[in-house]
Amino acid sequence: MTEFIAKPGVKNLKHEGEKLITTHCSYCGMQCGMHIRVSEKTGKIKGVEPRYDWPVTLGKLCPKGVTAYQQIDHPDRIKRPLIKKKGRFVESSWEEALSLIEKKFTELQDKHGKDSLSVFGGVSMTNEKCYLVGKYARVALGTRFLDYNGRFCMSSAAGGFMKTFGMDRGSTLPWTELEHSDCFLIAGSNTAECHPTSIQMFWKARDKGAKMIVVDPRETPTARIADVHLDLLPGTDSALANGLLHLLIKEDFVDKEYVENRCNNFEELKASVEPFTPEYTSQLTGVDKNKIIKAARIYGSSPRSVVMFARGVEQQSKGVDNVTLYTSLALLRGQIGKFASGVATFTGQGNGQGGREHGQKSDLLPGYRKITDPEAVKYISGVWGIDPEEMPKAGVSAFEMFDEIHKGTIRAMHVVCSNPAVSAPDAEYVWEAFKKLDFLVVNDFFLSETAEFADVVLPTTTWAEDEGTTTNLEGRVIRIRKSIEPLHESKTDWQIFKEIAARLGKGKHFDYSSPREIFEEFRLATKGGKADYSGITYERIDKEDGVFWPCPSEDHPGTPTVFKETFATPNGKANLPAVSWQEPDETPSEEFPIRLTTGRVVFHYLSGNQTRRIDFLMEQCPVPFAEMHPELASRYNMQDGEKIRVTTPRSTMELEVRLTKATRNDIIFVPYHWGKELAVNKLTNAALDPTSRMPEFKVCAARIEKLEQKAGH
Amino acid sequence: MQLERSFYSRASMYSFIVVMILILLMWIGTGQFSHIDIMLFGYLIASFVFAIGITVRMVSWSLRPATRQMLKRSFSNLKNKERKKRNVTSVLKTAVDNIVLQKFIFKRGIYRGVAHWLLAWGCIGSFAITFGLTFGWMHFSLVDPETYQMVVMGIPTITMHADGIFAELVYNGLNITAMMVFIGVLMAIIRRKTNQDVQVTQRPEFDLLPLYILMAVTVTGLVLTLSYKFMNGWMHNYLALIHQVTVVLFLVYFPFGKLFHLPIRPMAAGVPMNYQEEAGVDTRGCAKCGTPYSSDDQIEDVKGILGVQNFDLQMADGTYLSDYCPACRRRMRVMKQLNLEHQHENPYAPIQTMTDVQVPGFSTGRSDSYYKEAEGDEKL
Amino acid sequence: MNKIMYLEFERCIGCRACQAACRECGDHDAKERNYVEHVDFMESRQTFPMMCMQCKDPACARVCPANAIQITEEGVVLSASEEKCIGCRNCTFGCPFGIPKFDFEQNKMYKCDMCYDRSKHDIAPMCASVCPSDAIRFIDFDEMQSLRRRRTQMNLVEGKKPTEQDKWKYVPEFFGVYSD
Repeated sequence: MTEFIAKPGVKNLKHEGEKLITTHCSYCGMQCGMHIRVSEKTGKIKGVEPRYDWPVTLGKLCPKGVTAYQQIDHPDRIKRPLIKKKGRFVESSWEEALSLIEKKFTELQDKHGKDSLSVFGGVSMTNEKCYLVGKYARVALGTRFLDYNGRFCMSSAAGGFMKTFGMDRGSTLPWTELEHSDCFLIAGSNTAECHPTSIQMFWKARDKGAKMIVVDPRETPTARIADVHLDLLPGTDSALANGLLHLLIKEDFVDKEYVENRCNNFEELKASVEPFTPEYTSQLTGVDKNKIIKAARIYGSSPRSVVMFARGVEQQSKGVDNVTLYTSLALLRGQIGKFASGVATFTGQGNGQGGREHGQKSDLLPGYRKITDPEAVKYISGVWGIDPEEMPKAGVSAFEMFDEIHKGTIRAMHVVCSNPAVSAPDAEYVWEAFKKLDFLVVNDFFLSETAEFADVVLPTTTWAEDEGTTTNLEGRVIRIRKSIEPLHESKTDWQIFKEIAARLGKGKHFDYSSPREIFEEFRLATKGGKADYSGITYERIDKEDGVFWPCPSEDHPGTPTVFKETFATPNGKANLPAVSWQEPDETPSEEFPIRLTTGRVVFHYLSGNQTRRIDFLMEQCPVPFAEMHPELASRYNMQDGEKIRVTTPRSTMELEVRLTKATRNDIIFVPYHWGKELAVNKLTNAALDPTSRMPEFKVCAARIEKLEQKAGH
Repeated sequence: MQLERSFYSRASMYSFIVVMILILLMWIGTGQFSHIDIMLFGYLIASFVFAIGITVRMVSWSLRPATRQMLKRSFSNLKNKERKKRNVTSVLKTAVDNIVLQKFIFKRGIYRGVAHWLLAWGCIGSFAITFGLTFGWMHFSLVDPETYQMVVMGIPTITMHADGIFAELVYNGLNITAMMVFIGVLMAIIRRKTNQDVQVTQRPEFDLLPLYILMAVTVTGLVLTLSYKFMNGWMHNYLALIHQVTVVLFLVYFPFGKLFHLPIRPMAAGVPMNYQEEAGVDTRGCAKCGTPYSSDDQIEDVKGILGVQNFDLQMADGTYLSDYCPACRRRMRVMKQLNLEHQHENPYAPIQTMTDVQVPGFSTGRSDSYYKEAEGDEKL
Repeated sequence: MNKIMYLEFERCIGCRACQAACRECGDHDAKERNYVEHVDFMESRQTFPMMCMQCKDPACARVCPANAIQITEEGVVLSASEEKCIGCRNCTFGCPFGIPKFDFEQNKMYKCDMCYDRSKHDIAPMCASVCPSDAIRFIDFDEMQSLRRRRTQMNLVEGKKPTEQDKWKYVPEFFGVYSD
C-alpha cells in the first residue's frame, strides 16, 4: 500500500535517503494534512513536510502542527509500564503490570459488583480505538460507568444538534465551501488561535467581500477585522441569540417558505423572542444596541451565511440552549442544506467528531445509537457476540463519575487518552476523587498529571505509530498512517484492551491483529445507525480525499452537505427552540465581583500534556496569565507583568497580569493548559448543562487581589 | 599623493612595493643571491604571483566603503594613546581567542573546530616554511658532520644535532603541517559531502575546490616524502614535479578563492576595539524605545557608509533608520503600511480595528446593493 | 524561477507557525530567522510577520566590512558567509527592515534565505507553506503585480515609484526576490 500520496504536479521537497508518509496532524479537529519525514535507513522521524494537496488545509499548519512530530521520539516518553510502589513509580514488565490489573479488577468486581470499575475515554485517537473503548468497558469489564472527555468539549453542540436536527454532525457543509459564503456569524470561537488553519477560508471569503460578525468577550484576531464585534458578557449568549432572532423576525429577514416547510415550533419561537428587544438584549449582554441591530441586518441580508460556534457558547450551564438558538438563526434564514451556507461547530479534539459517535458516551452505542433503545442494544450485541441481557445500562456523564467516586460507587478507573486532572472543572475535587480510588490505570505516552495519580501507567504509542481513521470537524473520515514502529516497549491502546480482555476471559471478543480488522467490525456496527460508516473503506479514503458520513454503502458517494432535503427528526422538520433568559450558574457578587472566563492559546493543545513538552511552544508560552483591560487593572492598581491572586468560591491561584485593551473591561481571561498549581480549572465552576452534562468552564465569579510586595523588592 | 600618480592604480603601486621588498629581503637572505636553490624556481615564481594577488585583493577590498571605514577607525583608534589599554586587550584577545584558538568555530561544533584548526594551522605552518625556503630567508648549513645550523636572513642562529629529535622535527616540519592539513581537509570534505544542511547553500566551485586543491598539495607532498624515505627515491623527480605543479596552482588560486578569508580575519580585532568592548553589551539607546542596541561610533560609521553609497534612509524628522533598534525599525515599517502612525481622533480609544473600513490587506469591499436593501437607518 | 514572497500584515493572526516552520528548514540550525511581533499588545492584537525583503542592492551587504554577505544567482541574499563574517553587526544596523540576527556565541550573523533548498526548486519556503492566514505567500510575479496594483489604489503611496535606494519608505511587500 502506498504510504505517500500526492496529486500530479504537486512539488514536495524530498531529501535524499528519506521517505514521506502521508498522514494528518495529531491535534485538533482540523486534522491538517501533513507528510512525516522518515529516514529510510534508520527509520527515525526527521521532520515534517507540508501536504499542499490536502483539500481542507492546503499544506497550512499551526505551530503545534509544525512541531507535532517532535512528540514522537521525545525523551519524556514512558518507555516501560510503571507501577506505583510505596508512592513511587517503578518500571516493570508488561506481564507484571497486566497481572496486577487483572488481579485488582477481578477483586474489586467480586467484592463491589461489576459497576465498581469505570472507564474514562478520550477522543484524541482514532475511530478504531474510540470504538474499542466502548466495547472494552461494556464487554470486557461489563460496567455501565463509561464516559469520555468529549463531555468537556463537544457535548452541548451534540445535544443542541440532536434536539434541533435529530442528528449530530458538527458541520452541515464541507469546509472547502466556506470561502464562497457571504457572511459568517462566529460565536464563542477564538478561531485564529484554536483552529488557525480555518482562517485561510475566512480570509479568502473576506477577499471576495464576505462580511464577518464575531461574538466574543475578547477582541480576538478574528474579531479585530470583523464588520461587527459583539463583545458580550461571558454567559449571555442565549440573550444575544434571542435578540438577533427577535430582529430577524421583526425586520422580516425570515425565509418564510423554508421555515414553513422545514421547521417546527416557529410560533413558539416567535413568542419567546418577543421580549428580546435590542434595548433589553443590550442590557443583558452589555453589547451596544446599535451593534446588535447592525449585526442582525448584515446577517439577515446575506444571501449565503454560515453560523459557527465553539466552546465559548457550549461550555456553559445552558450550552445546549445556546446551540439551539444560534442554530435557529441559520434555520430562520433558510440556510441549512444549501451551498456555502449552514451551521457548524469547531470540533476541538482531533477525533471529537468520530469519537463521540461510536459508543464512548455513557448513553450511546456505535453508530450514534441510543443505549436506551432495545433494538440498538440487540443489534450491537449481535455484532459483539454477546447476549443483549449482558449489555450494561446507561451510566453517568464524565464529571458525574467523580461524584460517584466520592460516593464510593466507583472504586477503580481506567483512563485512556485523557488528562482530566487538568481538563475537568473544579480540579481539586477531581484530584480528591483520584486519591480516593482504590485502583487507577492510565494509558498515556507522557506522564500526565492524571497519570501521576495512577497505580499503573501503561505506555501507549503516539498517533504516528499506529494505523487508523479519524473524522475531522467536517464529518470527513480520513486516514492516519503509521510512520514508525512503536518505540520502546509501548503498545497501542487497542492491543492493551485486547490483552486485558483476554485476561478477564473475554479474549474471543477482542481477537484483532490489526486496526483494519477493528475498522471492518466497526463499519458493521455503525450500519443502519445515524452515523453510518459502513460504506467507507481505507482505499476509498485515499482515493476520494476522505469520505463524509453518512455513507451507508460502498457505492454511496458520502454526504458532504447534510440535510439537503429533510432533517433526521421523526417528522423530518427541524425543531426550533423557545428559550427564556437565564443567568449563568454563578453571577458576580460583592465578594466575587468580576467574571472569569477561560480558554486556549494557539501554542498549546487541551491539557498541554503534549505541547508543554515541545521546546518551541514552551518558549512562546511557558505559563498561564490573567489577561485583563487596563481599566480593570487600574481599579486594583495592578501593573502589566505583576503577580496577582485570583480567587473563586472553589480555590485560589497566583497569576501574572497581561494587559490589553482588546478585551472587555469587566472580565479576566486565563488559559487552561497547565496542571497542579497552574491549573485555572481549580477555579472553574462544575455547574452542568441539564441536557449535555457539560460543565460551565466559560463563566464564573471571581475576585482579584494585588499580591503584597515582598520586602526588599 | 605624488607617488600614486606614477602608477595606474593604488593596487599596482602596492604590488610594485611588495615585489621590491620581497626581492630586497631575498637579496639579504640569500647572501646577495648566493644561496638560491634553483630547484625551487617554480615555487619562487608562484610565490611572487601569490604576493601580487594578495596585494591586489587586499587593496581593492580595503577600498570598499564599509571596509575603509572600519580600517580608518581602527587605525585612528590605534593611534589614540587614551585607548591604549582597550586597543591592546582587543588585539590580544582577538589574536588568542579568534585566531590562535579559534574558539568561535569550536562553538559551532567540536568536529568543525578540530577540522578548521588543523587546516588553518597546517596551512599557516606550511606557508611559513615554504616561503622561508623559496625566498631563501632561511637555510641550513652543515657546521660539522654532526651539527646543522639554521641560518635566518643570513644570520646564523641555533645549532642542532643532526640526528636529534629537534632536528627531526625541523626536517619534518612540512610533513607535520601537511599531515595536519590532510586530516583537516579530509574532515572538511566528509562534512561537506554528508551533511545535508551544509549542502543547502554550498557551491562546489567555491566551497569544495579549495579543499580538493589542498588535498592534492598535501597528498603529493606526503607521497614525495614516502618516496625518498622509504622507496629510495622512486619516481622522485616526477613526483617532485607533480607536487610543484599542485603548489603553484594553490598559490595562484589562494588570493582569489575562499581561502582569501585568512588575511582579512585579523580585522576582527576592530570589533572590540572600535565598537563593542564587551560582546553583547550595548551602550547606545534606540531613538524610540530607548533599549540599548549598539554604540555611537558604530552607528556613525554605518550611517556614513550608507550615505557614501546613496542609501537615503533619513526620516522626515531628521533621524536615520539606523538610530532605531531593529525591533522598532520593523514596527515602523509595519505601522506605516497599516496606516497606524497617525493619531486617532480619540486618543483613549483602542487603535482602529478596521471595523467599518475595508482592511487593505483584503481586496475591495462588496457594494451594499449586493445584499438586499435592508430596511431602516442604513447609517448604523 | 519567477516567484515572489508577498507579505500582508493585516492577515496575520500571530500564531507563529512561520517561526516554528522556519526552524524546520534545511541549514537553519533550528533557529528561526523571521519575526512575528505585536504592533502594540496593549492596544490591539494586531501582529505582523517580518522577514528579509531580499533587496537587489542590500544595505546589509553594503555595510559589511568583510564583504561576507553574498547574493545567489536567483537573487537570494544569504546569511553572512561564516568564514568571512567578523561579527561586527553592521548589517543589523544598516538593514532598513531590522532583519539580520546575530549569534554572539558562534560569532555569526544569520538571516532569512527563503529556505534556499526549497525555493531554488520552486517549492514554497516553509513559512509561506504553513502560514494559515496567507499573510506570507509565495506567489507568481504576475499575481504579485495584480495584488500590488490593487493595494496601491488603497494606499498612500499611489503614483510613486519606489527605487532600490528609498523603497524602505514604501510598503515592504512590494518587494521580494525573483522579480523581473
